[in-house]
Amino acid sequence: MTPKAPIIDWAGLSPLVALLGGAVIVLLVGLLRPRFVREVIVPLLALATFATAAGLGIWQWGEQISLISGALRLDQLAIALMWIICATGAAAVLLSWRAVAPREAAHGEYYALLLTSAAGMLVLVAAQNLVTLFAGLELLSIPLYVLCATEMRRETSLESGLKYLIIGSVGSATFVYGLAFLYGATGSTDFAGIDRALNSSSLVSDPLLLTGIALSVVGLGFKASIAPFHQWTPDVYEGAPTPITAFMAVATKAAAFGAFLRLFDGALLNAQADWGPALAALAAITIVVGNVGALGQTSLKRLMAWSSVAQAGYLLAGVVVATKLGLQATVFYLAVYLFMNIAAFAVIIIRERQTPLGDDIAAFAGLGTTAPLPAAVMTVAMLSLAGIPATAGFIGKFYVIEAAIDGNYAWLGIVIVIGSMLSLAYYLRVVAAMWMLEAPEAPVSTVTGRPALAGGDLDAPAPGAGIEVYAVAAVFGVATLFFGIVPSPLFDLAVKVGSSLTSLF
Amino acid sequence: MSATTAAWLVLACPLAGTVVNALGFRVLRGRAPGWIGTLAIAAAFAFAVVAFFALQSRGPEQRQLVSSLWDYASIKQTTGVDARLSILVDPLSVLMILVVTGVSMLIHLYSVAYMGGDRGYTRFFAYLNFFVFSMLLLVLAGNFFLLIVGWAFVGAASYLLISFWYRRTTATRAGIKAFVVNVVGDAGLVLGTFFIFRHSGTLDFLGTFHGVGRDFASHQGALTAGLILLLVGAFAKSAQVPLHTWLPDAMEGPTPVSALIHAATMVTAGVYLIARMHPLFEHAPAAADVGAIVGCLTLLIAGTIGLVVTDLKRVIAYSTMSQIGYMVMAVSAGAYVAGLFHLMTHAFFKALLFMAAGSLIGAMAGEQSLDRMSGFKRAMPFTFGCFVVGGLSLAGVPPFSGFFSKDEILFIVGHQGGWHWILYAAGYVGALLTAVYTWRMIFRAFYGPPCPEAAELEAGHLHHAEVHRNPATGEEEDTDVGFPGPEHHIAEREPSMKVAMGILAVLASVGGFLQVPGVTNALDHFLEPTFADSRFNQSPSDPGLVTAGLVLGAVLGLLGIAIAYVVWVRRPGTSARLQQRFAFLHRLFVNKWYFDELNEILVVRPFMWIGRFGQQTFERVFVNGALVGGTTGLVKATSAAVRAAQNGFLRAYAALLMLGLVGVGFYFLLQAA
Repeated sequence: MTPKAPIIDWAGLSPLVALLGGAVIVLLVGLLRPRFVREVIVPLLALATFATAAGLGIWQWGEQISLISGALRLDQLAIALMWIICATGAAAVLLSWRAVAPREAAHGEYYALLLTSAAGMLVLVAAQNLVTLFAGLELLSIPLYVLCATEMRRETSLESGLKYLIIGSVGSATFVYGLAFLYGATGSTDFAGIDRALNSSSLVSDPLLLTGIALSVVGLGFKASIAPFHQWTPDVYEGAPTPITAFMAVATKAAAFGAFLRLFDGALLNAQADWGPALAALAAITIVVGNVGALGQTSLKRLMAWSSVAQAGYLLAGVVVATKLGLQATVFYLAVYLFMNIAAFAVIIIRERQTPLGDDIAAFAGLGTTAPLPAAVMTVAMLSLAGIPATAGFIGKFYVIEAAIDGNYAWLGIVIVIGSMLSLAYYLRVVAAMWMLEAPEAPVSTVTGRPALAGGDLDAPAPGAGIEVYAVAAVFGVATLFFGIVPSPLFDLAVKVGSSLTSLF
Repeated sequence: MSATTAAWLVLACPLAGTVVNALGFRVLRGRAPGWIGTLAIAAAFAFAVVAFFALQSRGPEQRQLVSSLWDYASIKQTTGVDARLSILVDPLSVLMILVVTGVSMLIHLYSVAYMGGDRGYTRFFAYLNFFVFSMLLLVLAGNFFLLIVGWAFVGAASYLLISFWYRRTTATRAGIKAFVVNVVGDAGLVLGTFFIFRHSGTLDFLGTFHGVGRDFASHQGALTAGLILLLVGAFAKSAQVPLHTWLPDAMEGPTPVSALIHAATMVTAGVYLIARMHPLFEHAPAAADVGAIVGCLTLLIAGTIGLVVTDLKRVIAYSTMSQIGYMVMAVSAGAYVAGLFHLMTHAFFKALLFMAAGSLIGAMAGEQSLDRMSGFKRAMPFTFGCFVVGGLSLAGVPPFSGFFSKDEILFIVGHQGGWHWILYAAGYVGALLTAVYTWRMIFRAFYGPPCPEAAELEAGHLHHAEVHRNPATGEEEDTDVGFPGPEHHIAEREPSMKVAMGILAVLASVGGFLQVPGVTNALDHFLEPTFADSRFNQSPSDPGLVTAGLVLGAVLGLLGIAIAYVVWVRRPGTSARLQQRFAFLHRLFVNKWYFDELNEILVVRPFMWIGRFGQQTFERVFVNGALVGGTTGLVKATSAAVRAAQNGFLRAYAALLMLGLVGVGFYFLLQAA
């Protein structure tokens, strides 16, 4: 029997093709000399690519098809998460428009890496096979390592890229080791095959399988910043260029949780009795560590990093219960997480470019009087992250807690509530700084005080925050508020996504 | 336009007025805010009329319309809570929005002039529009969720308006008192809702009503408890014994506020609530009886206090309590239409009386004591006329509106027989008291030799006080923002006040003809679709009892006026002799049956004691020391540990990662064993 080339459904594959094709085009156009082409056309092309991929997703919405002999699966879960990823990518492009990073790293490379990473995320959330799962993970990670280090004259940026690379390698190695064990135990790399193997035999207490699960928990937990595999997060988030931090915070999380849902609520569903309590314990630890770690942070990027650790704990609760409701809650929360996080990062970028204080919380003192609109957006984002009613974050948290209780993990719901209580202590500090502190005197100097690794000044004066950053802040801030008051469109989306993993009930 | 669209617009107009006035306070000049507020309510009234006709154009079976603007959370399937933003448009709610918007419109019109000299003019109209919005939300709510929202908003608006002159300590204290008592009621309402929701599984009104027989078949106790808790809410809002003590104090607010909120609309919310919940009350007769008895007690107690109070506005306030007692008794005893009929006529004549009182207070330059007023009859003929119309209507003299509505209540209550005869008799005793205290007020203010202020007004000059004093305490006060302004306005000189009072006087005179026994029953017919499922739907026919009641009512009304005339006009001094003769009763009434003192001893002091204990001992030692100290200590220690681990060294991170891996792996291998 000669191996036959698999039938390729180009329509189903089209979003991925669009992202990768876009990356190639952006890379090539980035080679052109004119400055206008590099600084305007290239980001526009990147934006168009994200828009195309999202649009192709709308076209394919409702399909549930296997692609390339079951390597990938295009269904509502994949498309919904792709929308989140593309929205984050588009926001990251806008936030990078006048940033230092693309100028230093060359625009073509910067945006091509961004697109490649997004393509990797799409592969990850659509994977139906251990091999594609790992390929997706690496495809998303490697460009990110580079992107973190794109502000090449800033030491912390380089440090962040290097740290991410090294720790990421440990995580990836662990993950691939775990996948190998899973294959060894079940004799299949295919998710459906693993599911069948677990269904038909008493494999669920097999040490080989369980070791494999443990290793893959660690690998994915690393990407999703689950404690105690979270420690890279604050350092990398703080050091990376802020638009990249925003992209990592949202898109990587969406991709990692997509993989969690595919692997644990899909392939390993029959072993839920084994991994459920372990993941629940990790979720609880993550919530506590993330929230406690965020207390007392003065760098807002670090604060957001710790907050993202805590939020990963909330999201993990939706995975733990392995029910349709849990899946819906996770997807809903990821969508909400997109709005509130991007809104917050956009405001952080505005302040970072306006004051010499960078992302220090002092940069926000008195913002309520000097610039009420960004302050309002930041307030909404912070309240939403804390889960205050009338913001989308409240509904998201409500949904997750509901799923936890419904799935017999009521204690985890209580941990989420306690975590939210703790989180108020640092989210409200930001709000208080903006509205209750006096604005500082005129800035003393515009020098950042950070030593440049290589000598020489930057090509241009410090870039201001253009209209595009304000637009991103406004759009995502309004969305945070809007879906807090009218959540039904997102509910409908989440319910439709819930039907994509048919094995859940 | 469909009825539901019109109803949504009824809600939108006052909200728009609130927003414009609240945000435009720097821009709006002169009387513009007043006219904006009035126009907003006038538009709401117009839409209410549209809703009325749209509803009438439908078949009687299809006059209960529910409309949801959007689902706050379409999570019925996941959480079991159907908290929708939905309104219920049926004859009952349409009657309520017509009364609320109609009377509010006139009171806004009156306030345009009456509040003219106040520095907080824009704020006043923003609050007043907000109140109307809240009240409309309350009566249009299609489920318990929105009802609670409207209920709480109304309480907040009432608090803001009572404390409107916020530099008067008496006003702020009264506002706080009203708010606290109302919150007790809110708690009752919310808890009652929980009791009902627990077994009905839905917050929707119609769903709850349809399922009441099935859901509560074996939970009779829960239903009764839930309804009694709802009644607590109704009693607090409607100033029924023993939660009535805030209403007389609420007279600290500006007079239009007393007219609108503390007479015509908000205080009738309890009546509306009981009428709305009638399918539930009919399944829990015990709760309904509680309502009827409390209503009856209130009408007697308030009537007796009204006899001896000397503050003009407080006389009317006690009269309001007493009249709402009639309504609560009516709707609790199954006389729904009669109760709502009285609610409507009462809104007319009581708003009229308050407006007239406002005019009189204007002439007295802020003074409210009846002891200082006399002989205003010639100086203020229009105000006097309004007082007479309102007074005749309140006293139940035919053919004024109060006559028909009160007698219909008593007839239906009496017709039920049994112990309801006691209520019937008490109602007529109350009617006599009403006539006496109402006309005592009128005779004392308008008859007799003119007081200096009246004489000054007759000479063509409106009295202005040299030094402004708080009428309650006599303290000297300023006329800046937060105090009543230096100007005073009387109906005789302000066309807009005159128009508003004139229209209400006409309504108070002819409003009763909607429902004349044996002649018309327009209101019965209109409200039929709402009460079609009621046990008491068939209005009893007993011509003998009706006639007897009507004659008795008319005679008692006239007799009361005659007594008042003899005691306070013909033979001045009689009242002093009566006071000496019945010193004990007088002391009891003057001290308002000692309800405030009782509250002080039973509620305030124990709670103060618990509060002091809580603050000084419990909080300091347990909460601050053990709980807060312990928790923050724990959080701080964890935080320190987390940050110590976050030392920036890759080797440490990798080590912890491996440690975590070992932990997870160990757990999984234990599972295998």
